Amino acid sequence: MSILSIENLSISFHGREGITRAVLNASFKLDKGETIAIVGESGSGKSVLCSSIMGLLPMPPARIENGTIEFQGQNILTSDNRQLRGLRGNRIGMVFQDPMTSLNPYLKIKNQITEPVCLHQRMTAKAAWPLAIAMLNEVGLPDPEQIMNLYPHQLSGGMRQRVMIAMALINKPDILIADEPTTALDVTIQSQILKLIKKLQREYNIAVIFVSHDLGVVAGIADHILVMQQGQIVEQGTPDNIFYKSQHPYTRNLLDSIPVRAKTEKFIANSADTKPLLTLQHLRTWYQSNDNELFRSGRNLVKAVDDVNLQIFPGETLGLVGESGSGKSTLGRSVMRLVQITDGKILLDDRNLAELSASELKLYRREFQMIFQDPYASLNPRMTIFDALSEALQIRGALSESTIHEEITLLMNDVGLDPASIRKYPHEFSGGQRQRIAIARAIALKPRLIIADEPVSALDVTIQAQILDLLLMLVKKNQLTMLFISHDLSVIRYMSDRVAVMYQGIIVETGDTESLFAQPAHPYTKTLLSAIPLPDPIRERARYRQVNVKSSEPHITP
Amino acid sequence: MTVDSPLPLHQYQQGRSLWQDAISRLRQNRLAVFGFWVVTCFILIALFADLIAPYSYEEQNLDLGASPPSSAHWFGTDTLGRDLFTRILYGSRVSLLVSFLSTVVALTIGVLWGTVSGYFGGRLDMIMMRIVDILYALPFTIFIILLMVVFGRNIYLLFITIGAVEWLTMARIVRSQVMSIRNQEYIDAVISMGLSRPRIIFRHILPNILGPVIVYTTLTIPGIILLESFLSFLGLGVQPPMSSWGSLISSGVETMEEYPWLLVFPSLTLSLTLFSLNFLGDGLRDAIDPRSARE
Repeated sequence: MSILSIENLSISFHGREGITRAVLNASFKLDKGETIAIVGESGSGKSVLCSSIMGLLPMPPARIENGTIEFQGQNILTSDNRQLRGLRGNRIGMVFQDPMTSLNPYLKIKNQITEPVCLHQRMTAKAAWPLAIAMLNEVGLPDPEQIMNLYPHQLSGGMRQRVMIAMALINKPDILIADEPTTALDVTIQSQILKLIKKLQREYNIAVIFVSHDLGVVAGIADHILVMQQGQIVEQGTPDNIFYKSQHPYTRNLLDSIPVRAKTEKFIANSADTKPLLTLQHLRTWYQSNDNELFRSGRNLVKAVDDVNLQIFPGETLGLVGESGSGKSTLGRSVMRLVQITDGKILLDDRNLAELSASELKLYRREFQMIFQDPYASLNPRMTIFDALSEALQIRGALSESTIHEEITLLMNDVGLDPASIRKYPHEFSGGQRQRIAIARAIALKPRLIIADEPVSALDVTIQAQILDLLLMLVKKNQLTMLFISHDLSVIRYMSDRVAVMYQGIIVETGDTESLFAQPAHPYTKTLLSAIPLPDPIRERARYRQVNVKSSEPHITP
Repeated sequence: MTVDSPLPLHQYQQGRSLWQDAISRLRQNRLAVFGFWVVTCFILIALFADLIAPYSYEEQNLDLGASPPSSAHWFGTDTLGRDLFTRILYGSRVSLLVSFLSTVVALTIGVLWGTVSGYFGGRLDMIMMRIVDILYALPFTIFIILLMVVFGRNIYLLFITIGAVEWLTMARIVRSQVMSIRNQEYIDAVISMGLSRPRIIFRHILPNILGPVIVYTTLTIPGIILLESFLSFLGLGVQPPMSSWGSLISSGVETMEEYPWLLVFPSLTLSLTLFSLNFLGDGLRDAIDPRSARE
């Protein structure tokens, strides 16, 4: 007997621009203790589907066109608000994507975690206290008594997500809906949270709906996978069927988009006789956090980049990998001199860029170009593509108008965009197309080094694969040298000739991509490598047999 | 990937620039066009008031006294028998001049101050903003009275003093906008291309903060018109028989019950102008934002 059954559900949004069909004739059943994973790219309707189960859709503009949602015999769609409130946080728990925004920053953990108990079981906060402590223990948080008295900002992202899970499960619900619960987390924390969800699910026999855009993440924990595309469930089945015997072309496309292979054509850096293009010596970038401009105090020094030595050889792609806060982006921005460096040398052609004055720096800047993470923020919204590219070209020198037109057409072709669309503004392009424009702008200056800072992490997997391939093609065609920064190990492996692993401001290990992935030397690299979710259910399931679900993070962030 | 031959040149040249686009979008916005024409009409009226006005602004007719609207006096007359229509026409001179000139002063200082403060940040920003805070704390009326006492009563001084007070808020708005744009990645991108600072500020930052600046400007103008009437009431602005909309309204309020037309007509004129300015301002804000283009 299934506890949740969705029949033929269609949801559409009625806006000024017309009708958008978010979910089309979706049907599935959820059994007690089962884990269903809903996988799809952004805009596929997976989150809308989840919200409808909780009765959380904003109506209007949302409208249920047809279908039913039945939870233990109760029709959710015809329930009134009072009935729905009885379910929310009680029979159905939910965990959201971003643990930074889903907890109220003004309330202590104790007030937030006991709230669902007080509300649904009519307990006093005092009576709920032992229950909350037990629950925090369950989710693997050390020293629950102390955590109860903290504010959310005093906890790290992973710990907050544990608190969210504790809140969602404190009333022992029948269903836990987890909407991209690990997307905002680092890979090592992600694997801890996934193990925790799996463990709790077994213990409490809860049914879980796990929404994700990442097939690798769900490979090990799901009993059943639904693949959604443009509002439709295009394929469903057991993980083994989906991953090994997929029928639908879209699912196969998703699977192929996960970069699992290593870079095929290797650039061979012969460090013995090749001179490095760029050398970083003892580079330090320290920040004063809590900066009071008038009365400088020496407190709260953040060593974002601390004593980094690195060489980049001409023609190679150096991958820089690390988790959030490791200082990898600051390192890239330090090389660009976009941030003030504290100490050390940046050597290009035996010239120390760290010592250049502002006017000398302006000339040197064009030697390095940067591709940024967010294609929505990296283009001036008020400039057409033509203006943006011609601005870059004009920096190379006074070019005639016709040369500029020719160059722009060539650039647009190079990055796979239609040259006829150059008069459009950035908002008229999709995320992937914008990233192509940003790439065109970066290569327009013919730089000697490109620093790509997480260039694909804001994109859907299928688009991600296209952009990576475009970058590989351009690197080969123009013999570019690239510093490729990413948190994603599989992307790094796909792109790089050599890899540097960064941890808390320090490069802990560098090496040739293949040997580093095969035989990591540093313990941090080993942890990082073992945490990558693989699109392989058999190997992933083995991972969940390990039992340790304790939080391994530093206890409290200052 | 095949490389096509470049597009023919003329196809590029018919391309749009931000400002050409803005004008064509503004034309499609009927309310904004309406606002534009109303404001233009008032500017023309202010310029040619002495040609249009049926009477002289100082001409009194004590026998007539306050009379309701008639064919001879369209908007009626005031207690001294002066033609209200004429006084409104002349009043537009002072009101529009004060509001536009003061706004220009406020805009110029405010945008410059805010941009420099927000773009360079750090200690400079701290010092510049503390100066703004100190000026905020000065009692405005005393400040103006002091200036008037020192420099004598002078209508141009009035523009400068009002502008010199109104730029404070503008500077704060501009600063916060510039700071948020400054942290956008596209600014990092153009810095790393080696663009010069003035170019970054004028090409990449200022066009992106225009929206809030325009809206705030259209909100400032009515405030200034009323401020002028307050100063006139204190005897620091224009004095009868010369009139301004603000002074007409404030004297109309006193006789509201006996002679309502003395309040109604100046108020209607002021409201019409303010509505038109707001329509125009909203239209401009939408027009310079390419994202608002209707497909």
